[in-house]
Amino acid sequence: MSRKLTVIPEQCSGCKICELVCSIRQFGVNNPKKAAIRVIVVYPHPVLRMPIVCSQCKRSTCEEVCPVGALRRDNGVVQLDKDVCISCFKCIEACPFGAIYAHEDCEFPIKCDMCGGDPECVKKCPKGALRLIPEAALGEVRRLNNVLSYTQMKEIEFYEKGEKKVIQYAEIGKEEL
Amino acid sequence: MNIRSGYFRKHLHVNLTDGEIERLDLSETFLEKYIGGRGFGAKLVWDNLRMHDFKIDPLGPENLLVIAPGPLTGVYLPSSGKCSFISISPATGMYGDSSAGGAFGVELRQSGIDVLSIKGRAPELSILFIDNDSTEIIPMPELKGKSCLETEGIIFEKLGTYAMHIAAIGVGGENQVLFACVNTDWSRNAGRTGIGAIMGSKNLKAIAVRGHKDLPVYDVNGLVAEADRAYEYLSKHKYFELWQQQGLMNVIEYANEHGILPTYNFRDTVFVRHDRINGEEMLDRYKIGDSACFACSMTCGNICLVKNGKYTGTVTEGPEYESCAMLGSNLGVDNFAAVLAANRLCDELGIDTISTGNIIGAVIEGYEQGILSLADIDNEEIAWGDEDAILNLIRKIAFREGVGDILSQGSLRIIERWPEMEKIILHVKGLEQSAYDSRAGISMALGYATSDIGAHHTRAWTIAKEMEEGQNWTDEEKVEIVIYHQTLRPLFDMLGVCRLPWIELGLNERHYENFYRYVTGRETSLEELLERSKDIYDLTRLINTRMGVNRKDDTLPYKVYARPVLTGPNAGKVIDKDEFQKLLSLYYKRRGWDENGIPPREIEAKFDD
Ligand code: SF4
Ligand code: SF4
Ligand code: SF4
Repeated sequence: MSRKLTVIPEQCSGCKICELVCSIRQFGVNNPKKAAIRVIVVYPHPVLRMPIVCSQCKRSTCEEVCPVGALRRDNGVVQLDKDVCISCFKCIEACPFGAIYAHEDCEFPIKCDMCGGDPECVKKCPKGALRLIPEAALGEVRRLNNVLSYTQMKEIEFYEKGEKKVIQYAEIGKEEL
Repeated sequence: MNIRSGYFRKHLHVNLTDGEIERLDLSETFLEKYIGGRGFGAKLVWDNLRMHDFKIDPLGPENLLVIAPGPLTGVYLPSSGKCSFISISPATGMYGDSSAGGAFGVELRQSGIDVLSIKGRAPELSILFIDNDSTEIIPMPELKGKSCLETEGIIFEKLGTYAMHIAAIGVGGENQVLFACVNTDWSRNAGRTGIGAIMGSKNLKAIAVRGHKDLPVYDVNGLVAEADRAYEYLSKHKYFELWQQQGLMNVIEYANEHGILPTYNFRDTVFVRHDRINGEEMLDRYKIGDSACFACSMTCGNICLVKNGKYTGTVTEGPEYESCAMLGSNLGVDNFAAVLAANRLCDELGIDTISTGNIIGAVIEGYEQGILSLADIDNEEIAWGDEDAILNLIRKIAFREGVGDILSQGSLRIIERWPEMEKIILHVKGLEQSAYDSRAGISMALGYATSDIGAHHTRAWTIAKEMEEGQNWTDEEKVEIVIYHQTLRPLFDMLGVCRLPWIELGLNERHYENFYRYVTGRETSLEELLERSKDIYDLTRLINTRMGVNRKDDTLPYKVYARPVLTGPNAGKVIDKDEFQKLLSLYYKRRGWDENGIPPREIEAKFDD
């Protein structure tokens, strides 16, 4: 699979609709604590909302640590085989992103399986903070934004009543506070 | 038809005095009759009042604080993150409630309870920690003087996890400022009626909750289909994008245009420099992110950062319309960064922005008119738009320093101390008025006067209809619309959801009967649910009348009758006293209350169980 489930934290509002629909899809229940995606909200400064979900890494740590080979890549998705899993939760500890979850009602680790290629969370996120992006396009938005922010930083110097002043392009047209 | 799901049927009761913790069962009748949220709260508060023969000091240990989400809280449907806080208000001495968004209520439900009630007074400053089935009262005197934000951080550290939601008070609550609020999730506040002071009086600094249970839902597939239709409707609405961008801040322009924006302590209703504090200005220079309550696609929260100037580094989740109007135009402040700083300060100290803005406005006007002398205000000058003096006064109110001590006790005590302030301060029954001028529309005025918690807009916000559809309605229609709002709006509080998808984007209220049906498995109709809500309005009225309220209290601030609007589309308008009294009589009649506004015995009998 060449499309990646990608998170754009700047767009996320922390509404947790993604958690809800994930738990409904995975377990048929309304319980954000049973979702394979979690939105971590950190106050206060800077205010951050970060959805954490499995990246389906090509060299997946979770797969590597699993002592019984219950995690296997299938068509680009790291799938959990519940018939093989012994619920040791080594994978949860090993994932560098903390993207596998445990819940005390559940025997097995809770891990994103990409909903068969059409993730519910992506469909239901009202902010477009979760996207399926072609692998080759990853990072494009960041790159573009970085370039744009650089242009905004450009300053011009000018003289007013013999006094040297500096203003930024982005400030033109807006009076000082 | 029975309630088959939707509730855990559990009531957690905590007595902080002796540390007794009980898990009580809720009966089927209780769930059906009172639904949840403020319905549960009103009933439990009523029972508690009866137990104490209606003699309760709101700040005494005997006052009961109820925290109640609703059966729809936390489930997959638009904006289901609401939770109500209910008690006897220390500001008004009568029924008081306030609701908060965020996700605190969701977590509370997930811990397996439908309602939490708290009584007594802890021997030292403590927190309540509800961790699924276990509940503990943990003394934490080190939280004294901490802001709500710091409190969250310290509790995360002490309890060794951040995966919980916290409702906390700040210094304002500790010092029992009568309009102190409770902050949940940092800045989703239960702002009004002084709930924070009640927590303070109980020595309860915070409630931390961790819950992991499935929310009971009768028919998940039905619910998902219905909710998807509702979300879909919202996302296609022509104003949806504006809501995501500006949230309630778009109301500043609206209110200014229609002449209902409080300006210079409600002296005027149009603010010349509205464009310095409106949603556009916010988007242009301050907004850095969106924030939403649980399951909400409208994201009315705006995360703002001040990037330069004197207030650099100030971050807030907000402001929203009320805070911005009350701390902005109402105080003559035309610098959005200063509004943010004031909002942030109120959040940190844990005091209500609406009451605070209102009282400071009254101080400025009172001083300007010579009612308050310079000595009265601690020899510190204050004037319209004086940012430093305003911020200073906010601090003094929360810490109860100097004049802040009397101001912290709200309108009624301020008027007791300086009777002339009656003409200046806007309140009904002791609750300071929200940020919509009511001289522009008599239904709005009637809504304020008859609101069960005082001059607050969420019970009957009829002003938009009055502005947009004109006011050539018959008296019956005017009364009817107030009662309809007072019935439908509280229903949202009972169900535990936010009303904005309905009031702002016109989400059909019929959805809610279906939501209720899918969640509880009980067949019902909107009409039946509204009947329950109407009963609760009777119940909260009963509470108030038993606490001494009657017709003479269902009145309006002096200015509304006596001080015509100065400029703008409503220039010259006041509310006519006789016309208002006529409407009030009709209102009582439609409600089935007597000429004095007292519900008869047969209404009271409904709640005898
Ligand atoms: S669970 Fe973690 S380690 Fe495994 S594939 Fe997903 S992100 Fe990679
Ligand atoms: S919990 Fe299951 S999948 Fe994870 S490491 Fe252990 S056996 Fe493998
Ligand atoms: S649904 Fe989208 S906006 Fe909402 S919390 Fe999840 S990622 Fe963020």
